[in-house]
Amino acid sequence: MPPARKSVKKRSASRAAPPRVGPAVDALAQAAWAEADVALAEALVECDIALSTKSDTVRREALGLLQQALGRAARRRGLARLGRPRALEDYDPALHELAVSAKRAPRRVRIAQAGVTRGSDVLVKARVKAARTKGS
Amino acid sequence: MMSPAEAWTLCVDFGTAFSKAAAAPRAAWSRFHPEDVRPLMLSGEEGANPFLLDSAVFVDDDRILFGRAALLRADALAHKRRQALRSFKTLLSLSDLDRALNTGAPASIDPHRVFPMRDLVVLYLAYLLAATERAVRADPVLADADLEHRYAAPAWRGGDSGGLHDSVVRLFGEAEAFRAATGEKILSPQGLSLKAVTDALPRALSQPRSVRLGLVFEATAAAAYTSIGLEESASHMVVVDMGAGTTDIAAIARSGGRMEELPEARVTLKQAGDFIDRVVANLVIERNAWARDAEQQTILWRLLMSRMRDIKESLFADGKAMLRHENRTINVSMRDVAKDRDFREFEKNLQHAYDVSMEAVRDSAIQRKRRGIQTIAVGGGANAPFIQALLQRKPPRSRKLIIESRPATPEWAHAPAFRGNLAPVFPQLSIAIGGALAPDTMLAARPATNPAGSGRSDIPAARD
Repeated sequence: MPPARKSVKKRSASRAAPPRVGPAVDALAQAAWAEADVALAEALVECDIALSTKSDTVRREALGLLQQALGRAARRRGLARLGRPRALEDYDPALHELAVSAKRAPRRVRIAQAGVTRGSDVLVKARVKAARTKGS
Repeated sequence: MMSPAEAWTLCVDFGTAFSKAAAAPRAAWSRFHPEDVRPLMLSGEEGANPFLLDSAVFVDDDRILFGRAALLRADALAHKRRQALRSFKTLLSLSDLDRALNTGAPASIDPHRVFPMRDLVVLYLAYLLAATERAVRADPVLADADLEHRYAAPAWRGGDSGGLHDSVVRLFGEAEAFRAATGEKILSPQGLSLKAVTDALPRALSQPRSVRLGLVFEATAAAAYTSIGLEESASHMVVVDMGAGTTDIAAIARSGGRMEELPEARVTLKQAGDFIDRVVANLVIERNAWARDAEQQTILWRLLMSRMRDIKESLFADGKAMLRHENRTINVSMRDVAKDRDFREFEKNLQHAYDVSMEAVRDSAIQRKRRGIQTIAVGGGANAPFIQALLQRKPPRSRKLIIESRPATPEWAHAPAFRGNLAPVFPQLSIAIGGALAPDTMLAARPATNPAGSGRSDIPAARD
C-alpha cells in the first residue's frame, strides 16, 4: 500500500503561521523521537529474531514483542489508527483507498484494513471495499 | 507575528521525576492561538527529550551534581546505598513545610551530613532557574519578552495555601540569589564543587533576591488547557491526577471569569503509580516460579522496575505487556492485575475517594443551579483503563447532571501548526502549559514578591 501524505484539514493556516511556533516544532519532534527511538530499536531486534528462528514458539513471542514495541513507538510519535476493521463508513478518497479499483466511486465502504494518521495528516489511507447498499 | 515586547506568562511545573516549563502570551485566554504556546527546552542533554529536566540533586564526595548527571552518579553508587534527592514536589506539598525543610537529609543523600533539606531544595531550584533562564535566552520570541513567572503545585493539603506559597516564594528568592552568585556553572555536567556551594549558599539564604511568583493549582492548570478556546465549558471540573506518589482528586468551579477550587472535593490517596508498580512486579515474581531464590527475585524486581514505565504503558494501552529476561519471555496482563487483591483494594479506595469528591461537586453544581460537570485525568496514570472508567462514574442523585469526560490531550494540541509534534508529548507538558495559559483570575495566589530577610524558621534542624 503506497504511503500517502494528505491532510484531512486544510493546511493553509499552518503555512501562514510557522514563525510563531518557530524552532519549538523541531524540538517537539526531537522529543517525540527521543521517546520512540528505543522502542524502534527493540522492534528491529525482535523482527530479526522472528525472521531467523525455526521455533514457532520463539517466533510467536518475537512477533508479540515486535507488535508491542511498534505500538509503543507509534504512540510516542503520535500515530493513531484510522478506521476500525469491518466498520461501515461513507467513502472519502482523502481517507480511504479502494482495495479493488472501481469505475464509479462507491457511496459506502467497509474498512478492510485500518490506516494510520498523525495529527491531521493521513500517513496511510484505510484500505476499503465497496459496501453493498440498498438499491445498489 | 507576535511582538517580542508583548507580555508573556511562564509557568514551571516541578514534577516528581521531571521539571517542565512553558510560556504563553498573557492575553492567551481571551485571544487563543494554539501556535503561540511555547514549551521551554530546559534540558541541554544530547538525544534526550529537551523539554524534561530531571528533578535530582546528588551530593558527591566533593561536588554537587544536578539533573541527569546526578541520576547517573547515584546509579553508579547504588551499591553503596547512595541516592539522589528527587521528590521536591512531595516535600514542597507538605503542610508542615518549614519543619520538613529544616530536617537534615539522610546519610544516603548527604554523607557529609551538612545539608538540611532546605539547602538541597534551594540548590535544585537554582538549577531549575538557571535552566529556565538559558531556555528563555535561547528562545527568539521570549528572549526580550516581558515575562511573569508562576509555578504549578497540587492543592495544598493543609489548606494554608497563602502561608505555604510564601514559603515557596522565599525558597525561590534564595535560589535566585544562589544562581546569580554561581552563574551558569550550575548547569555543567560536573555540577559545582562542595566548597563553591558552602561558600555561596549561606549568603544566598541570608540575602534572598526579590522574585515575583504566582501560584496555580495543578487542577486549575488542567482546567485551563482543557477549556481554553472552547465556546462553552461546564461550570465544574473534576481532575484526577495519578502521579508517582499520590493520586490527587480536585475539583474547581467556575463563577463568572473566576475559578475556585472546592476544598470539600479535594481527596488525596497515598496509593498511586508507585503502588501499581509494586503490584505488577509482585504479580510477575509470584507467577514466575523459576525466580525462586532471593537473588533471582531481586534481579527480576530490578529489571521490572527499570522497565516499568514501558510495561504500564503497554498494559494500559493494549491490556498486556511482554518483556524478555535472559532466555525467558515474561507476560503480564491487565486482567491479571485487575484480579490482584491489593489492586482490587486500591481500586475500591479510588472509587470511594472519587465518589466522595463527585458528591461534593454535585452539591455545588445543584446549589449554583448548574448542570455540567467535566472530568479529566492528568499525570502518568491518565490513560489507565481504571482511571478512564472512573471518569464515567455518576454520583447518586445526579440524574439531571451532565457528566462529560474530556480527553487528556485537548483538540487544540493537534493544531496543524505543530505538525503532529505536540500531541505525543503533551501529557508530560500539560500542567506547565495549562499553568501558563490560565488567566490571573484562576490563580491560587497572584504574583507576589518574596519578603526580605532570611526564610529560616526557628525550628531546630533534626535528623530523620
